[in-house]
Amino acid sequence: MLLYLIRRGASLFIVLFGLAILIFVIARIVPGDPARIALGPLATAEQVTDLRAEMGLDEPFFIQLGTYLSGLAQGDLGKSLLTSRPVMDDILGALPATFELVVFTLVIQIVISIPLGILAAVYRNTWVDNVIRVVSLVGIVTPGFVLAILLQLSAAMYFGFFPITGRIDPSIMFDADITGLLLVDGLIKGRPDVVGDALRHLFLPAIALAAGGIGQVVRITRSAMIEVASRDFIEASRAYGIPERVVRFRYMLRVAAVAPLTILGLEFASLIGNAFIVEFVFSWPGIASYGVRTILQKDLNAVIGVVLVSGVFFVVANLTIDIILGLLDPRHRLREGKSK
Amino acid sequence: MTNRPILEIENLSIGFRAYGQYRRVLRDVSITVGEGERVSLIGQSGSGKTVTMRTIIGTLPMPPGVVETGSIRYDGRSLLELSKIERNKLKGTGISIVLQDPMLSFNPVLTIGRQMDDIVRYADSRLGQNRSAAQRRDHIVQTLAKVQLSEGARILDSYPIMLSGGMRQRVLIGMALLNRPRLLIADEPGTALDVTTQDEILALLNTLVAEEGLSLLLITHNLGVVREMADRVYVMDKGRIVEEGTRDAIFTAPQNAYTKRLMAAVPPLYGPDVVTIENHHTDPNPAISIDSVSKDFVGRSGLFHQHRTLHRAVDKVSIDVMPGDIFGLAGESGSGKTTLAKMTLGLIDPTEGTIRVEGQDISQIAGTADFRKMIQIVYQNPGSSLNPRRTITDQIAVPLKFTGHETSRIKTRVGELLEMVDLPADMANMYPHELSGGQKQRVAIARALSVNPRILVLDEPTSALDVLVQSTVIDLLHRLREEFDLTYLFISHDLSLMRNFCNRVGVMLRGQIVEEGPVAEVFGKPSHAYTRALLSAIPVTTDEADAMKPIVTKEERAAVLNPSTAIGG
Repeated sequence: MLLYLIRRGASLFIVLFGLAILIFVIARIVPGDPARIALGPLATAEQVTDLRAEMGLDEPFFIQLGTYLSGLAQGDLGKSLLTSRPVMDDILGALPATFELVVFTLVIQIVISIPLGILAAVYRNTWVDNVIRVVSLVGIVTPGFVLAILLQLSAAMYFGFFPITGRIDPSIMFDADITGLLLVDGLIKGRPDVVGDALRHLFLPAIALAAGGIGQVVRITRSAMIEVASRDFIEASRAYGIPERVVRFRYMLRVAAVAPLTILGLEFASLIGNAFIVEFVFSWPGIASYGVRTILQKDLNAVIGVVLVSGVFFVVANLTIDIILGLLDPRHRLREGKSK
Repeated sequence: MTNRPILEIENLSIGFRAYGQYRRVLRDVSITVGEGERVSLIGQSGSGKTVTMRTIIGTLPMPPGVVETGSIRYDGRSLLELSKIERNKLKGTGISIVLQDPMLSFNPVLTIGRQMDDIVRYADSRLGQNRSAAQRRDHIVQTLAKVQLSEGARILDSYPIMLSGGMRQRVLIGMALLNRPRLLIADEPGTALDVTTQDEILALLNTLVAEEGLSLLLITHNLGVVREMADRVYVMDKGRIVEEGTRDAIFTAPQNAYTKRLMAAVPPLYGPDVVTIENHHTDPNPAISIDSVSKDFVGRSGLFHQHRTLHRAVDKVSIDVMPGDIFGLAGESGSGKTTLAKMTLGLIDPTEGTIRVEGQDISQIAGTADFRKMIQIVYQNPGSSLNPRRTITDQIAVPLKFTGHETSRIKTRVGELLEMVDLPADMANMYPHELSGGQKQRVAIARALSVNPRILVLDEPTSALDVLVQSTVIDLLHRLREEFDLTYLFISHDLSLMRNFCNRVGVMLRGQIVEEGPVAEVFGKPSHAYTRALLSAIPVTTDEADAMKPIVTKEERAAVLNPSTAIGG
């Protein structure tokens, strides 16, 4: 198991290193002079040259790459042209909001989709199954931003159950200075009003973000459960008198969980990408909103930073899933050890 | 039968309702098992024997299953009328099962210990007993000792994939016995294992029946197993019991036409009915010449895969297969026979040595269309070697397309090929799922023959088929060999079949050919201890054949066989 963890962990750094180089190269190949773009069409040639020197753009390419990578190793992503602040600070400032949203979305996905998938499998080919399948299909085909706007119009504006935009009510005075996560800091500081209000704000964007993944995971869970149900060991367990509830939830689910978990891992990583639009619609002060603004401004350092952060999410999410699968299914880690 | 009955099935009829159609699968089935008795239920796939088993143990889903008439009584209590709670109390404690495949019968993600403890624990709670975890563990280790597994503690911490096939089968029997059932239902025990391991498992079951006072209902299609394992026999065909009687009565004087056909279809290992195939070709140049061929597989382990371990799958094998031969390559799983066949087809390269097909070194010609026209393969399981989404015509046409046949010719050629393998022409547009197992294997044979190869590699071509179907496919292969002057390399673990199908055999053990020669010699006077161990382990259908099996001493067996009670393997 330890060997498995070390090997997975090592692959994480290799992937991230490669990703950093790739993005940097792409950013330099894209046409347009970053200094000219930053200064605007009215700046003089002299001003542009000065800025180029300041940004290190006049150096040879490999020197630039080396400078960038050594900065990266020390946690320095360069300066944002948009905010004139270090990109790392900007990202760290915006990350907790996104992290909170994405993790909350994942929780919603797991809590809703796995039970629904099990339900659909247990009541296969009945009306229960049919309703669940239709609803999940609707979830898959509806784009996140459409759902976001519909939710804003209905639940927020028409019924007024939920706030329309933002992360927390501006009238609440609260400084999330421990982890940056409102829910966590609210709990630590004993502020139920903060936690409650943050949850209300989280709910709609999280639902809009979760819908597509829920549909996928419901379907995968359902078919995996049905497949496992027909295996010999399930019949054997029943014949040996293991109670039905144990057979279903312990024996079947544990074997069947591999497929939905793999999908959830990929889904979690792509949530960051999907969050771009949903965060924009709900004016969520997260990294996606920051990313959209920097992309529109061709703020290269910031864009590279944002992409790197999504990359980290992707790799870490997959690593987490691999570890969970290894814990859940001995064949994963044993096969890895043997590598036959 | 003098004993008190423990299981009585009377006039049981069962049907299935699916998609608005009703199909009756069991008709008027009556079976009785006496206390301490060993009863076998014989039938081909689809005869209804599995439905019978599932109804007895209470795992047949209802609906879609419907019991029309009849009753099942266990120890005088009517199972179908018991309340669910009462019925569940009998599961595992009154009636228990051993399913066919020892790999699939375990939950792959839980340790053996966890699975066995669950069985004991929930049985305790059903019966209102209360044992501590340590007491349960003791009980489990003792039960494992009954199935001759001494390393109980180590086994309990293992996951199913860490055990060898024979061990899994033993643990599985131990699982079934955990709650001291009185009736054990075994579904094809050991048939998924090698014949020497199967032999040990059958002996173990016989011992357990005698020592534990179990009653055994054995469900199988293997008549040899029945002869070794049954006091009385029921023969089932299309959902009916067509014949019942004592073992001796059924084997010496079967009355029913179906039973007789079944008996006749079993290839005899010894005795007057054995057919000896001969090769009348005189061509001195071998069709396949395998010259001191070895194959190593590399395993890697460690953090950066830095530790290399070499595993020699095939070790300096030399064989000449002459034109017109049916050369049987016998051996148990892991003996290297499939690896050797793959090298002969040019699918993997040998580490050392050369293989020549019709005089040409295949390392030079493998992958060319000409080579594909020389040698083709028929796989073991036609259910998976045919693409389920393509019609029979499309399947057969694949080799034709790759060897440059024109589209216009293909259609007529497919017609010819179907006729060659005795399939009606209108099957050309069907899909594999519309065909029976035997018909699918005929399609696979037609596909292999489509480019007029001179050599066919047959990888266990009948092991997935019922014995009646097997005999028709074997007849077809014999006929095709005569008609088209073919040479076969036949890979199998079924030595009875090999005796009647091949003219020469080679026996493989751990990558080496330990014995080779004409069938009559190898089977009549086996010189290597392993050949003798293999032959003596085969369940045969007559006492006469049993007496003719070679004798192998315990020491010899121990020297050549891997013990099935060891961890790993």
